[in-house]
Amino acid sequence: MTTAVEDVSTESNGVKRPELIGLGALVGAGALLVAVGTRLLTGPFAIIGLSLVFASILALVVVAVTGTPESRRKIAPYGLLKPGMLWLALFYLAPLFTLLRLSLSTLPSRFAVDAEFDWNFGNYAEAFTDFGPQFQRAFLYAGIATVLTIAIGYPLAYVIAFRGGKYRTLLLGLVVIPFFTSYLIRTIAWRSLLSDQGQFMSVINTLQLDWLLETLQIMDDGRLINTPAAVIFGLTYNFLPFMILPIYVSLEKIDVRLLDAAKDLYSTSTAAFAKVVVPLSIPGIFAGTLLTFIPAAGDFVNSLYLGSPNTTMIGNSIQDQFLVQNNVPLASAMSFVLMFIITVFVLIYSKFFGTEDLA
Amino acid sequence: MTTSRPNPFRVPAGRSALSRRQLLIRAGALGAAGVSLPALLAACGSDSESGSSATTPGTAGGATPGTAAGGASSGLFFENWPSYIDPTEDGLTGTVDRFMEATGIDVRYTEAYNDNNEYFARIQPLLGRDEPIDPDIIAPTSWLANRLITLDWLEKLPIDQVPNAANLRADLQNPAWDPTGEYSLPWQTGFAGIAYNSDVTGREITSVDDLFDPEFAGKVGALTEMRDTIGVVAMSLGIDISTLSSFAEAQPAFDKLQEAKDSGQIRRFHGNDYFDDLSNGNLAITIGWSGDVAAIARDNPAVKFVFPESGATSWADTMVVPKGARNIEAAAQWMNFVYDPVQAAQITTWVGYVSPVAGVREEVEKLDPDLANDPLVFPDDAKLANTKGFAPLSEDVEAEFDAAFSAIIGA
Repeated sequence: MTTAVEDVSTESNGVKRPELIGLGALVGAGALLVAVGTRLLTGPFAIIGLSLVFASILALVVVAVTGTPESRRKIAPYGLLKPGMLWLALFYLAPLFTLLRLSLSTLPSRFAVDAEFDWNFGNYAEAFTDFGPQFQRAFLYAGIATVLTIAIGYPLAYVIAFRGGKYRTLLLGLVVIPFFTSYLIRTIAWRSLLSDQGQFMSVINTLQLDWLLETLQIMDDGRLINTPAAVIFGLTYNFLPFMILPIYVSLEKIDVRLLDAAKDLYSTSTAAFAKVVVPLSIPGIFAGTLLTFIPAAGDFVNSLYLGSPNTTMIGNSIQDQFLVQNNVPLASAMSFVLMFIITVFVLIYSKFFGTEDLA
Repeated sequence: MTTSRPNPFRVPAGRSALSRRQLLIRAGALGAAGVSLPALLAACGSDSESGSSATTPGTAGGATPGTAAGGASSGLFFENWPSYIDPTEDGLTGTVDRFMEATGIDVRYTEAYNDNNEYFARIQPLLGRDEPIDPDIIAPTSWLANRLITLDWLEKLPIDQVPNAANLRADLQNPAWDPTGEYSLPWQTGFAGIAYNSDVTGREITSVDDLFDPEFAGKVGALTEMRDTIGVVAMSLGIDISTLSSFAEAQPAFDKLQEAKDSGQIRRFHGNDYFDDLSNGNLAITIGWSGDVAAIARDNPAVKFVFPESGATSWADTMVVPKGARNIEAAAQWMNFVYDPVQAAQITTWVGYVSPVAGVREEVEKLDPDLANDPLVFPDDAKLANTKGFAPLSEDVEAEFDAAFSAIIGA
């Protein structure tokens, strides 16, 4: 940026500081799209707004084609950012803003189609007071599931990356293949596998392991299904590849000569693993945690099919408020609270574990 | 039910019951989540006008894409629950095809109606803005029909064009959900009572109290349909559910259910997807629907349905015409057709629920004498006297009931 400011005096074609024009057009077009997307601008205004967005794209193209190499160079980053920025404006910022507005609205009557915006913070109070247990369960289950995916996924990724040899691709494929089947079908299938007459129970009964599993609180009342453990298991199972793949990618990048070097310096294998491999794979664990924890905290399918009325997570409650209670404002407030807590968790987490590579 | 009745008119009951049951299980399991995901998205997008075509029932349900798009169409569009009518199969002509043959009216029949609340969430953005939906007839359960009537989202039926409406069972005339009888005609009716697996319970069950017997802890289920679950429990506490007008009156039933849920007595609340659990013993005892249980019992005689001593709830799924429907006269012709006992009997023999049409029993007698003596399909007067329908609730009271129930079922 500083060099750009110094260059201003040397501009030759009369366009002063093209990078500012690029930035202005980017932010302006994004803001206009958000305004149209949230219906702040409607009717003819929306058409004018969209025309301006289109004009700004056109202007960028004109500058890119006719401008001097110098102005082209400066405007290029903004031009390249534009598609992504406009996409986010329309499909992320506008819905987010709509949701925020809805969460502060009141339904004039229970079955009214449109909620009225009136700064109703009561929705947030209700979200906190009425759904405390569901929030707690969601984060508890998602947290345990994330730790389990690391415990299971890391060794697996390690073996594939360092010992896989020519079978690497095949092994990775085997990790991914089950997930070609629908998420729902797989979860429902676990219902019969874990059922009282299922394969798992018959093995447990034959080996008489039920006292052990009851002590570990994996079984409850002599059953595997419809327990918190079943929900956590379902989450772990369903999100495992999202942990394995990023960890594999970060492990695979590690230069094995670093390990040789560590041994040359009289490091034991364990120390080499702890001081070389693990630190270098932290970006993978970090990315995997985000990919696992965030969707798991909002999941409702595992709790719905593998849980009981005493294991519902916040995702179930939000779905119920949207579709059964028709209370869209409350459901929106709950969604926001969920997003807020997840954001706080992620910020704290990245403070401690986040790496420069990923930021 | 035997499978070798000398009956030229229909396939053996065992086969048809099985196919219906399998369909129900699939619909229950997948419908709950698979269908509500798009519905959830539709609900989120209810603010955008351009989303309206995507939320149109029928297209969202994966049915044949919009044949009725734009303008008046000469056909009839009936959106019903899954497996709720006799299909054309095994040399038998289904009711839809018989109707098309008899009247020359083109019928589009879909089965995208999976759940009352979910369906309501789908039609709300349209009917709530006075925009018509595609189907000419939909099949809400009576309480939802009542809500639609109150919201003024239904057309009155041209009852003078439905002479066979005179065949409506006496006990269903001017029902509580539609006091003037101008908006709805029942499609099928049935009961919610206790379903149990006698292999697991080891004894005959007669009372709702058995649901709360510690002996069955963790093996008890209940329906997610609030009126059936609360209704059955409330009746066992001596509460008259047909006259409820405030939440306080039903409070004891909610308390009892809450206690059973907190203690782990209740394993899960279920919709249509309890057949396997009941049949293989995951559930020993649950609140279930009569027709479903009759279908399971044909495969597994240990599964039984009882009218509890304290009484069962009765429900009705209705046929109603949404506001702005294009083919009201064809809808009237359809209703007239299915209210002919001869036609209604064909439906009854396949679906196994209680027909709202008087005189069906005589016709079923000719087709399937066993079925005509099935007390779950043709209950006697004593049983009928021991059933009650849930009172229609005002909007605010219903909101209280729904909120309290959803807090219990853990959503």
